[in-house]
Amino acid sequence: MNVHRTTGIAISLAMAVAASVALADQTTKVALVPGGPHPYFAAWEQAGKDAMRDFHLGAADYKVPPKWELSQQNQLIESLAAQGYNGFLIFPGDPVGTRSTVEELADMKVPVIALAGCLQDPSKAEFCLGTDTGNSAYIGTKKLIELMGGKGKIAHFTGFLVDPNTKLRMDAVEKAVKEAGGGVTLIQTIADIDAPEPAQEKINAFLAAQGANVDGIVTTAWIPAVTAATTLRKIGDKRIKMVGIDHDEVVLAAVKDGFVNGTMLQNPYGQGYIGAFAIDRLRSGCTPKPDAPWKTTAQTTHFIDSGTAYVDKATVDTYIDQMRAVTKSIMADFAAKYLVCK
Amino acid sequence: MKALLRQDWFGLAALAAAAIAAITAIRPDFLSPFNVFVLLGTVSLALVIALGQMVVIAIGQMNLALGAIGGVVAVAFAGMMQVWSIPVPLAVAGGLLIGAACGLATGVLTARAGLSAFVVTLAALSMFKGINLGITKAQPFYGVAAGVKAFGAGSVAGPVPWVLVPAVLVAVAVAVLLARLPLGRQILAVGGNSHAAELSGIGIARATIAAHVISGLLAAVAGMLAVARLAIGQPTIGDDWLIPSFAAPVIGGAALAGGYVSVTGTAFGVLIVALITQALVLFAVDPYYVQLLLGLLILGAVGLNRLREVRRERAA
Amino acid sequence: MAGTEPSTIGARESRLIGVLMSADVGLLILIVAFFAAFWMFAPGFNSPFNLFGLSRFTAINIVIGLSMMVVIVTGGLDLSVGAMGVTAVMLAGWLMEVGGLPVPFAVAGGVALGAGLGALNGLVIVRTGVHSFIVTLATMSIYFGAMIVVTHAESFRNLPADFSTLAKLRWFGFVSPTLLVAGGAALGLFVLYRFTALGRRMLAAGANPRAAEMSGVPVRRVVTLCHMLGGALAALAGMLLAMRTGAAIPSMAGNLGQDWLLPAFLGPVLGGTALTGGRVSVLGTVLGATLVTVLTSGLLLLQVGEFWVQFFLGALLLGAVLLERARILLLGARRLVA
Repeated sequence: MNVHRTTGIAISLAMAVAASVALADQTTKVALVPGGPHPYFAAWEQAGKDAMRDFHLGAADYKVPPKWELSQQNQLIESLAAQGYNGFLIFPGDPVGTRSTVEELADMKVPVIALAGCLQDPSKAEFCLGTDTGNSAYIGTKKLIELMGGKGKIAHFTGFLVDPNTKLRMDAVEKAVKEAGGGVTLIQTIADIDAPEPAQEKINAFLAAQGANVDGIVTTAWIPAVTAATTLRKIGDKRIKMVGIDHDEVVLAAVKDGFVNGTMLQNPYGQGYIGAFAIDRLRSGCTPKPDAPWKTTAQTTHFIDSGTAYVDKATVDTYIDQMRAVTKSIMADFAAKYLVCK
Repeated sequence: MKALLRQDWFGLAALAAAAIAAITAIRPDFLSPFNVFVLLGTVSLALVIALGQMVVIAIGQMNLALGAIGGVVAVAFAGMMQVWSIPVPLAVAGGLLIGAACGLATGVLTARAGLSAFVVTLAALSMFKGINLGITKAQPFYGVAAGVKAFGAGSVAGPVPWVLVPAVLVAVAVAVLLARLPLGRQILAVGGNSHAAELSGIGIARATIAAHVISGLLAAVAGMLAVARLAIGQPTIGDDWLIPSFAAPVIGGAALAGGYVSVTGTAFGVLIVALITQALVLFAVDPYYVQLLLGLLILGAVGLNRLREVRRERAA
Repeated sequence: MAGTEPSTIGARESRLIGVLMSADVGLLILIVAFFAAFWMFAPGFNSPFNLFGLSRFTAINIVIGLSMMVVIVTGGLDLSVGAMGVTAVMLAGWLMEVGGLPVPFAVAGGVALGAGLGALNGLVIVRTGVHSFIVTLATMSIYFGAMIVVTHAESFRNLPADFSTLAKLRWFGFVSPTLLVAGGAALGLFVLYRFTALGRRMLAAGANPRAAEMSGVPVRRVVTLCHMLGGALAALAGMLLAMRTGAAIPSMAGNLGQDWLLPAFLGPVLGGTALTGGRVSVLGTVLGATLVTVLTSGLLLLQVGEFWVQFFLGALLLGAVLLERARILLLGARRLVA
């Protein structure tokens, strides 16, 4: 490394340090940060690229923490801020644990939107754009009960207990079951299986023990959905009704072939695309409109639903178009509805 | 009969038998063919993982990269089939080769560079996991050959799954290696007392490298078995192998300091943990209590076994 | 075999060489080298914001490393450090939010619980003779599981504001006073092992329990004390982490607290504390934890492509220990020749 380059770097670093990180750069540089490596967020990468092109952003980069660990995500966010990103779309590693990092960003006048998952109020995020996980589980369970004809026994497979979304999902499933009157009973909930081997072990054990006894399965986490779909196909079962979650290839193929009845889609592409747009607007002087039609969830009072759709055999082939349509309709009046701009 | 009673693993076998008897008494369908099929499937994969670690424990070291090697082989195996349409036998050979190469790398660094196996395999863990993520970007490989999927899902006869076959073959091979073959005895000698082993002319480096290579091979087998069972090449395969890979051998009586391991003990260790997990699902235990009960039951099982050992030592 | 006679080097020089050859100095050199490299080539590394985050993270990793170190000294290990840390924090959170206790009392309560859980580990280990690996594997599940049952996985989010002040303070704009807490713990341990009879007994019990027992060391009590100390330090690490996030959350160390396991081992092992027990290097653990934190932080900033960070972390770690090995060999060779 020659002297000139070193001096050049030293000078530019000094400049960067002297001028405040967030304000020196006039173009919007957004970082899309998931909680960790997970196939759900893959659509964010393309969404960021498309947003960068469509809205002329400086950058809209998908940055993944190397492990699904809260401290890794915090470290990554801090280092991205130090690198000059001036807008953040974050899936909170923990709705409460990520708040302080978001506060640090807010102190530097860097706007943050919680994406695909919300921070627990009060927080310094501008708002939350995502799927209402509780509501999605509720709708999914209601669909399942409908498919079962309003009566029978169901089981619920879900993610890690330490993930607050899990509790919301468990509560939602119980609520839907209660509303069905006495006809439906939840015979078992298996949690902590959002990882391939525990999911295999426990779902197989469940079907071995209760396979003849259960009438419906609702899964509210990615890996249990995939594993349950695979297992039902393996044992050739089409009697047990199942409603899954998300758009993994395996789940969609199972829907097509009749082993799974349907799946609750979320809208990761839309979240990334709309979120990047919103960050850019927020950096250009817009602020969230106080009297906008915000929704309230268990976690926040400033929630925008990025859209969820129930997809079954009839609609499974066109699901991408469905979600694109949802994204388009949200974008159409997003700025007018939710932002007030000077 | 007396010889049987004196075997170290007898206590574990008795425990497993008692557990099965107790569970079946309450829920007779525990011994249904499908349930046995499921149990054997779980045990098969867990056994190979445990043996992969056991070989390194025998030499008195730890292979922290076991899961990471399994993960890399798993995605490479699935990737080879999907991206290049490589036929299954070649893909399996390729997977084994990768596993052996990874083991060779960690073995050579440990034996020849004088670094502690702990640090080498820890660094290797990060590197192999990093390669895994770099290749897959956290996305699974879906294009697993139909034959492999059938292998993972099917049964030889009734409740005996196909995946049990490689597991049993591996267990027999490792047992024969350690009990009969010179290499195996050298590994145990080095683990038991490396100075004495060196003085009697055993090449420590050779034994170390051999143990790591075998561990890598076993990790590869486990990774490919996992792909067969899951029917996709998941990048997260191997992420939580670390603790179970140590637990079963240690429950089975292995000395972490090296020199003493037991294949049969490890097998029963694997069985007991699988039984406990299955039972917790079978009895529809409240999900909030599962972790707590799992820990208590493992402690109980080990404690009981230990009690029997202590009584036997006192009687001697 | 005739060896080369070392030429007569003065006593001072040989002590200097001894110091230079020590693992601690090696680690220090590595830390300085990587720090300098990142300073020059990693964009944003030297920003006050990044350095502040780095100092906080280092403090936490140091204490986690120390909590495992005091158990490694006995020749065993403790897989439940994360579980103990989280449980202690949840108790402190409950005491503050529901019990209304002032912050110092709640923190003390949490640390006391950590010590108690650690002591429980120790008691089970010495009384049953079962290997610490299995015992702490089981207690990891038991402690975490009990915490889940009691709290139903709910966080305590409305902690009094002055709980987090220590973590929010910034000295000179880029250093966190939490480093002082870590440093204080390290200093306390250094004094324990170097200057107190108890510390010496702990080392003796770890090096050779039978010999120690015969020379009058109450090995079982000492081992239990080590585990108790480990539990207290785990609780302390948990407090530092909770102050940083401003809340008591059950997932702060991952499922079963297992996210802490690798950092807990890395610090002591890199720093020269032998896994076989009986030897300890407090300074080494501190430096080891610092090195790993600096490496992780710098790598994140180098923009190596987000999915390859783990690979480069492992490669750098390997490179670091190889360099260290080479350094010792070189110095050793020179000494023979000089």
